[in-house]
Amino acid sequence: MIDISHSPILTATFRNAAEMPDKTAVITTDGKEISYSTLQRNILRCANWLYQHGISSGDRIMISAEKDVKFIYLYLAAHLIGAVNVVADAEDNASRLKHLADIAKPAICIGIESADRRSYLYSEINLSDELEADGQIPTYQEGNAERISPDTPADIMFTSGTTGIPKGVVLTHANIAGGARNINSFIGNTAEDVELLCLPVSHSFGLGRLRCSLLAGATIVMHDGFANLKSVFNAFEKFRVSGFGMVPAAWAYIRRFSGDFIARYAPQLKYIEIGSSALPHEEKQLLCELFPTTRICMHYGLTEASRAAFMELHEDKEHLDSVGKSVNGKVDIRILGKDGREATRGEMGEICIKGDIVTPGYLDSAQNKEAFVGDYFRSGDVGYIDEVGYLYLTDRIKEIINVGGKKVSPIEIEEEVRKISGAESVCIAAPDPDGILGEVPCLFILKDSLRMDLEELKVGLMKRLENYKLPRFFKIVDSLPLSSNGKKKRRADINLN
Amino acid sequence: MRKSNNVREIIAEALNVSPDCITDNLGIGGIPQWDSMGNMAVIAALEEQLDIEFPIEDLFELTSVNAIIEEIEKIS
Repeated sequence: MIDISHSPILTATFRNAAEMPDKTAVITTDGKEISYSTLQRNILRCANWLYQHGISSGDRIMISAEKDVKFIYLYLAAHLIGAVNVVADAEDNASRLKHLADIAKPAICIGIESADRRSYLYSEINLSDELEADGQIPTYQEGNAERISPDTPADIMFTSGTTGIPKGVVLTHANIAGGARNINSFIGNTAEDVELLCLPVSHSFGLGRLRCSLLAGATIVMHDGFANLKSVFNAFEKFRVSGFGMVPAAWAYIRRFSGDFIARYAPQLKYIEIGSSALPHEEKQLLCELFPTTRICMHYGLTEASRAAFMELHEDKEHLDSVGKSVNGKVDIRILGKDGREATRGEMGEICIKGDIVTPGYLDSAQNKEAFVGDYFRSGDVGYIDEVGYLYLTDRIKEIINVGGKKVSPIEIEEEVRKISGAESVCIAAPDPDGILGEVPCLFILKDSLRMDLEELKVGLMKRLENYKLPRFFKIVDSLPLSSNGKKKRRADINLN
Repeated sequence: MRKSNNVREIIAEALNVSPDCITDNLGIGGIPQWDSMGNMAVIAALEEQLDIEFPIEDLFELTSVNAIIEEIEKIS
């Protein structure tokens, strides 16, 4: 008997396999349909593969989160045996991946080439040949099951720390199930749903959508992204898609490249989930007009506290400037002043979150010191709660640039500039002039400190930073934007002209 | 021929890749650089440097180098 009681996501997936074995769970990027029974079988095979490779409960597996069905099998297989997924972004460059591996110390790397760690590419994992045939009792769980509970770590997701040092966010089985239950309940997801997953599975939002779909017994269609909108619309038609998730940058891209074309799918779209960054008021109104019968759900949250507040744009049309509110008793949001006192309604302070979705802490416990106030996680966002309970965001304490939903540390960029050129710089968030990404990095460089040609610096940055981190604007200045006490002003209002 | 070579060069420059990568059959997603951000850069560069404006109803049909070249011939 396999004990999977520690993982509500796996429990639901295996229940789906028992109750509706032929139901399609996943459609791969090349159109192959994977039923719930096949999904279960391959999760078990991968659990055995991990076991045969010496992985057991508590071990960390650094896994490249890709739209490859083997990622889904192995990700859930790790949960099954009580191992912890260190979720890596396939977009990350080799030096960052090495850095993350040095922090996380995985026992094995999957989908990632590593010179100094045991690693396997997905193509090297052959499910049909190496692993047990159907019906055989898996061996992975001997002596392991009793050590695993809903409160043991399931995943580690890395976020950009404000200091440029990545923070490994530990999420338990209860955390990830709590987030999935909250959103499924708010959206109203059912087994009838067919979701198009264009979001990257390496990020909290996209991986969360996958879990939501499995929990509901729905079908998820893996898709490469929004870049090729023609293929997105073709998939809407081909698979009779009933919902999808997107970040505001994707919506801006859809509007820029297809106008209102997407509205012709409004009758079939039961829901759209939006998250990761702010969406302008007028875009919310436009979505309501284009999708009059679709549940358009926005969430507010962070990797550390995913899906803390929700709003549905039609139902909450009087509160479109808010980010919604906590919708069940399991999540509590409070506004706390600097002295730790709870703010009164309408009073501004730091948004702090408590509940089953909140991480127990960071991988590096030293990073936890400033992260919590009692049981409440400090979001780093400033806001207030109005008289009727809606949460409003007004500012950000943490110096992070949100590039289309991807978080970028200005300090990381400044450090790279210093390493390459010796120059002193200040990186700040500037509005994206194309109106797509929300914010983009803008770099002020102190003229006298730059010891190379600017173009040379740009080439150097391209080699060392991921694309989305590259500054969009470079300004050579006689003096850096500093506050009166000499601290770098990274939240300055700037004139880009 | 010269015009299509010019288009390929503009696409290569917008995507920060070598012009050798830009084959006629290359499509969005065919190389990592040609993602949604890359596609925005491609369309903006073509419109600016060729002084053209793609009709919005055609934009999402421009999914490959071939399709882009054909569209430019159509609207020029």
